[in-house]
Amino acid sequence: MKRGVFCFGVFVLAVLFIAFSAHGQDIPVGFFAPITGPAAADGASAKNAVELGLKEVNDAGGIKGKKVNLIIYDDRLNPQEAVAIANKLIEKDKAVGVVSGSYSGPTRVTAPIFQKAGIPMVAGYAVHPDVTWDPTQKKPNDFIFRNGFLGEIEGAAAAEFAVKNLKAKKISIISMDNDFGRAISSGFAARAEKLGAAILSKQMYKFPGEKDFRPFLTRIKEGNPDLIFAAGYYNEAASIVRQAKELGITSQILGEEGFDSPKFLEIAGPAAEGVIIATNLDRDDPRPLVQNFLKNYRKAYNEDADMVGASSYDAFMILVNAIGKAGTDSKAIQKALLETKDYNGLTGKISRFVQGEVVKPVQIQVVKGGKFRRLGVVDNWEVITPPTK
Amino acid sequence: MLWQQLANGIAIGSVYALISLGLTMVYGILRILHVAHAGIYTLGAYVGLLSFRIVGNFWLSLIMGMAGAAIAGYFVERFLYTPLLHLPRIAPLIVSIGLFTALEEAFRIVAGPHTLAYNARVGLGDLSIGSFHLTETQLLILFITFAILMFLWAFLTKTRTGLAMRACAQDPETTSSFGVNVGGIIAINFLIGSAMAGAAGVLIGVYDNQVWPTMGSIPAYKALAIVVLGGLGNIPGTVLASIVVGLAETFFIGVLAIPFPRDAVAFIAMILVLMFRPYGLLGKA
Repeated sequence: MKRGVFCFGVFVLAVLFIAFSAHGQDIPVGFFAPITGPAAADGASAKNAVELGLKEVNDAGGIKGKKVNLIIYDDRLNPQEAVAIANKLIEKDKAVGVVSGSYSGPTRVTAPIFQKAGIPMVAGYAVHPDVTWDPTQKKPNDFIFRNGFLGEIEGAAAAEFAVKNLKAKKISIISMDNDFGRAISSGFAARAEKLGAAILSKQMYKFPGEKDFRPFLTRIKEGNPDLIFAAGYYNEAASIVRQAKELGITSQILGEEGFDSPKFLEIAGPAAEGVIIATNLDRDDPRPLVQNFLKNYRKAYNEDADMVGASSYDAFMILVNAIGKAGTDSKAIQKALLETKDYNGLTGKISRFVQGEVVKPVQIQVVKGGKFRRLGVVDNWEVITPPTK
Repeated sequence: MLWQQLANGIAIGSVYALISLGLTMVYGILRILHVAHAGIYTLGAYVGLLSFRIVGNFWLSLIMGMAGAAIAGYFVERFLYTPLLHLPRIAPLIVSIGLFTALEEAFRIVAGPHTLAYNARVGLGDLSIGSFHLTETQLLILFITFAILMFLWAFLTKTRTGLAMRACAQDPETTSSFGVNVGGIIAINFLIGSAMAGAAGVLIGVYDNQVWPTMGSIPAYKALAIVVLGGLGNIPGTVLASIVVGLAETFFIGVLAIPFPRDAVAFIAMILVLMFRPYGLLGKA
């Protein structure tokens, strides 16, 4: 019996030793995304894109000879799950930095945990203000960085394009009733009204769950707006666009990055043609970084990359870049991230981070021939610079 | 616009009717709350979509969806509910809830978590009379629901089996003593109710152009509220309640513009009915 216990003890020590020595060589980087559950398509895009980035980094010899070990977790779009993941990444996996490939819900609950542990996190596309801001202490989470736009910024940029370029004077808004929908539609409405457009109506629909947008759209149709600003993820977006077409609505539809998915094009079908969106991925960006990514993604996964994938890839590469400059100490990585300047990102040139918020132009894309194509860029500093608190 | 909202409301109400009828029929005859009925509805949508992707014909996919749902409903009755009928009614209810969860997970594992497009067109075209505009899918829903309701009405009132079914709903034991095969009647009841749920699944799949694993979760409880509203087991009451809920939801959103969660409408109506007319809209005290 005693002998058995002794043998077991030796075995455990051996396993621990092997585990730790393996960890010693690699650089552990954490990653979480909603790989299953209601946002599984976005989770898959994020994971695929980051794995593509991982392969590029490790094939090129890793960071100063050390391979990056990506630790992947599935948060199932569940904040409770995300809290457990954050603690695991800190305690068990000893991650030096973390990439969020998830939505606002899971990302914002992990932010204070990583902030407290002093581990930098770069969020790919989560939009909620409280990702980078601690509302209880009223100060920024200075270990948290965001590669995607704040909802308000993206909404304001969409309004800028709607009023200045599309000459919309009468606008109706339909938005999902969640953090993202509220932030982006209030940003849109504020900027559009400032530029002199009239907001005819602002309707919120239940998210998740709403599928029948005809009652909302019938009401919009009566006002006969020049433009409809619609906020939703690809399922809702596809339904809105299709049902608007069925009801004979001819107003221009302007969406946001939630539309930016091959699933939107697939479900909406021909009704998607001509729909304009504000997003952060420009497919027609001539830089080799962008064109190679789009090509390699297509080759690896046999489908087109989307905004979520590109943003998560960027978040991962921003972190890797900082580790390359600063080494594996979390505090040094944070410092390198704070000093980011004119970084050449897949989703645009990042001039800097302001209180963790990215500063880069907003892309305007249009659906043409069943694909997202470039229509314009909003780079007015007044619009795209995040407000400091 | 009012006319358009009327069309929107009746269309969605018709689908609610198709889902709720099966539920109320099962309750009427077995006194079981058949929660898994919403799973059968989702199954109908998936079978219909699969058939549509193979053969490309909407009508055939509708029939396949109904047939798939009917067979599944029959199996549920034969192998899950009938063996439990001697137990308190809570037992089949628990089984039903368990089965519903299992079905949703099964759909996710087999068909994937993504929303699938059900892009069926039948070539009816839209119907416009003045400001009244019915889209093709709305026409389809109204037409199919009307046809199914007519069939159900004729079946229940004009055939001997229908008579036996109504008798069973009132008193299975006495009906049995008249030489009616009650087990067979229950099976037919499930076949018809489940086929209607399958039709609803296919119609919603086409109407929203989306089929996804958890599409049954809202209908699961909304149909329950509608059935109570209509008076448990009361078929005309359930049809009326479905249309009322569909119209109320549409008008709350589209005409009154009250920022009010749509899915609450059925429940508020249910609470009011339970307070003032516990026997349902058309029931007798």
